[in-house]
Amino acid sequence: MRSKPETQSHTAATEPLSSTSMDPIFPLLRILPFGFLRPPKLRLKLPTLTLPSPMTVYALVLLTYFMVVSGIVYDVIVEPPGIGSTQDRATGSVRPVVFLPGRVNGQYIVEGLSSGFMFVLGGVGVVLMDLALDRNRAKSVKVSYATAGIASVVIAYVMSMLFIRIKIPAYLR
Amino acid sequence: MVGKAEPVNGSVKPGSSQSIPAAMQGPLKKPDLIPNLSLKTLKLKTKQQELLIRVSILCLVYVLAFITRLFSVLRYESMIHEFDPYFNYRTTLFLTEKGFYEFWNWFDSESWYPLGRIIGGTLYPGLMVTAAIIYWLLRFLRFAIHIREVCVLTAPFFASNTTLVAYFFGKEVWDSGAGLVAAALIAICPGYISRSVAGSYDNEGVAIFALLLTFYLFVKAVNTGSLAWALASAFGYFYMVSAWGGYVFIINLIPLYVLVLLITGRYSVRLYVAYNSMYVLGMLLAMQIRFVGFQHVQSGEHMAAMGVFFLLQVFFFLDWVKHLLSDTKLFQAFLRITVTTAIGVGAIALGVGTASGYISPWTGRFYSLLDPTYAKDHIPIIASVSEHQPTAWSSFMFDFHILLFLFPAGLYFCFKRLTDATIFIVMYGLTSMYFAGVMVRLILVATPAVCLISAIAVSATIKNLTLVARAKNKVTQTGSARGSSSSKGSSKASLDQSQPFQRNGAIALLFGAFYLLSKYATHCTWVTSEAYSSPSIVLAARGAHGNRVIFDDYREAYFWLRKNTPPDAKVMSWWDYGYQITAMGNRTVIVDNNTWNNTHIATVGRAMSSYENEAYEIMRSLDVDYVLVVFGGVTGYSSDDINKFLWMVRIGGGVFPVIKEPDYLVNGEYRVDKGAAPKMLNCLMYKLSYYRFGELTTEYGKPPGYDRARGVEIGNKDIKLEYLEEAFTTSNWIVRIYKVKPPNNRW
Repeated sequence: MRSKPETQSHTAATEPLSSTSMDPIFPLLRILPFGFLRPPKLRLKLPTLTLPSPMTVYALVLLTYFMVVSGIVYDVIVEPPGIGSTQDRATGSVRPVVFLPGRVNGQYIVEGLSSGFMFVLGGVGVVLMDLALDRNRAKSVKVSYATAGIASVVIAYVMSMLFIRIKIPAYLR
Repeated sequence: MVGKAEPVNGSVKPGSSQSIPAAMQGPLKKPDLIPNLSLKTLKLKTKQQELLIRVSILCLVYVLAFITRLFSVLRYESMIHEFDPYFNYRTTLFLTEKGFYEFWNWFDSESWYPLGRIIGGTLYPGLMVTAAIIYWLLRFLRFAIHIREVCVLTAPFFASNTTLVAYFFGKEVWDSGAGLVAAALIAICPGYISRSVAGSYDNEGVAIFALLLTFYLFVKAVNTGSLAWALASAFGYFYMVSAWGGYVFIINLIPLYVLVLLITGRYSVRLYVAYNSMYVLGMLLAMQIRFVGFQHVQSGEHMAAMGVFFLLQVFFFLDWVKHLLSDTKLFQAFLRITVTTAIGVGAIALGVGTASGYISPWTGRFYSLLDPTYAKDHIPIIASVSEHQPTAWSSFMFDFHILLFLFPAGLYFCFKRLTDATIFIVMYGLTSMYFAGVMVRLILVATPAVCLISAIAVSATIKNLTLVARAKNKVTQTGSARGSSSSKGSSKASLDQSQPFQRNGAIALLFGAFYLLSKYATHCTWVTSEAYSSPSIVLAARGAHGNRVIFDDYREAYFWLRKNTPPDAKVMSWWDYGYQITAMGNRTVIVDNNTWNNTHIATVGRAMSSYENEAYEIMRSLDVDYVLVVFGGVTGYSSDDINKFLWMVRIGGGVFPVIKEPDYLVNGEYRVDKGAAPKMLNCLMYKLSYYRFGELTTEYGKPPGYDRARGVEIGNKDIKLEYLEEAFTTSNWIVRIYKVKPPNNRW
């Protein structure tokens, strides 16, 4: 413990560069390659890593949540079509089918994404309602946040119920 | 009392009992006393009122969690459901009859003939020991109860206990209001109910309780820094390891959490004490389970915990050096060198361990969680289980309903108020939601996290709304102390002119929140009743006139096996039914649900998909006496062996290249009617399923031999069996048992 300040004063005198180095290999390196090689004078700085703010992380988390809840893993593995199709028996025309019928654990890509969007919309609505109540903002901003929040939650809930009723006809009966 | 009425009233309560006029005191002495007493006794202090409300809510939630899981017991009877629980039931029966020593050293020769199975060393004993302890406790109190009743009701009992743990966890992470909401949400959440109904006697019923308990104790240990809580969490971890293979989630989530705390600069001595005690004691306890063995030091899945353990020691060492040194520059240099060295040494050790084979790589089951495409290409057995499929949005909606909206909102509240505990719950929620997206079965593990985070959202939102609703007119009063103290520094004071509008709006929103939560309760009850309360062993359908028809064919067949076959008969069937045959039929099986030996299963698959003479050779080599197939053509039951047949081909073909899947398909399509592939029309499974079916008329207006499950008329109606004969077919043709004929005499 006592020898450390001494080495510090030694190395501080000989080291015009950054901090003192306790590295044992550094003196060897100074002799061997850098005895005859001269490193150029660069003005590089190591990028300082700062932690992102919580709300940035929250935004990323929301994006990931959207992808997971839309069933992206199901899409990648099972590879369903983007949207299904059936052939009308009478006319022979091909009609699109948005919701995969018959199974609870099956989906087309577009139906997954739209349902995921509805869930995220509902969550964002609750967040907006909280922002409307809890901030020292202008009154008009608070009112608009509140209306947007309430509208989002209502729309998201109604649409999700509609989707699940289309998908599972026997729902709540 | 009459004369002293006024002073009595005056001294006890200044304002409350003024309702009793003094003039009426005389003739009405006795009735006056009773209102006096009741008013006095009911007037509790606010703290006591709050305690009463909390305790009554928790009691109601406890009872609710239990009774909502009893649908199938009321509709059918108290029996064990599905496939895996039958194995657990059989082992629990063995444990209660023979004692723990016999159970721990049990070698079972009745399954996986001729290999046998070391049951004592290949199961997780937590569930069986728990049920046995409850059984012995009840017996000690002289309740003469059968072990089957205890097994059936173990899961709902532990679900009720989970709600209590969820309350305490919510209280730890946010506040007691969030805890109460979390308990109520988790009591009825369908994601949890699906694996813990009465009758579903499976590891997860107990394991979720152990998981939440371990997490709660660990978070409590990190918050308080107390050694006692940390050691308690180690014991919780031990219970989890003994109960379920999913303990790997805990041993990876907690190190990840510690790493995140270190990165965000929240290192503290509390964390050090908590993690070290929990890791060391937990690891030592986990090695007591034979099935786990030395995996904590040898398996790649557990290395993260060890790495973080050593990293934490490095952090503590650096903290100590910093405390001793007074020079910051020197310390920076020392820090850089030490961290580089530590990480370098760790990487080298990991590399050497992995290269030399001491540290085994990640097993297929868990590796397929990180790389979901792995199982589809490499391990067909894992890919074939329907619970291992990835999750579609409707499964999420079915199992979570409102909580899918409240989860992101709850995450927002957690990110707003970041503490050690909220960081933990956020990480638990995110990782478990990702895994739930990869595999449907793991929605169960995500459920407690989703319920807790949604409870935070509900509690915070309702708290804000009630504060607005209760804000009194404080324009002229300086006594706005209540308002400002309760709003925690955020100003809601500027509500003056639109006061009634705000209040009405808040009350309307409260009604809206109440409406949403009641829709959640309705949804959960409907889902529990319709989707998750069927004991798969008994099937129900709607008859022609709307009446309910029950198909009890499985138990009929197993009982027939039990009574009409020699005790040492061996039964060959697909591995789904192995546990049930051993538990209810009491006969030796060739393969069962444990699926530990892929080659053995592939042999059975090969036998099922070969022509009858080749299959007969395989069956003779395995000493098979009876073959059992499940057939749904008469009832329209779609989970029968013909629908599972392609998996038999794939698994058999994975080991024996002579079985090729395209042989059984026509233009890539799987058919059983006239246009089916000739190999399909003559393989053993086809013959055994459709023997004599060509003469049967199943539906009015359709030709005989119409398969109601596939919706086609079968191709090969005239089936003759040469080496087997039909032994038994159940009343609805669901289970069919064939006897293997002994070889012909030579002359």
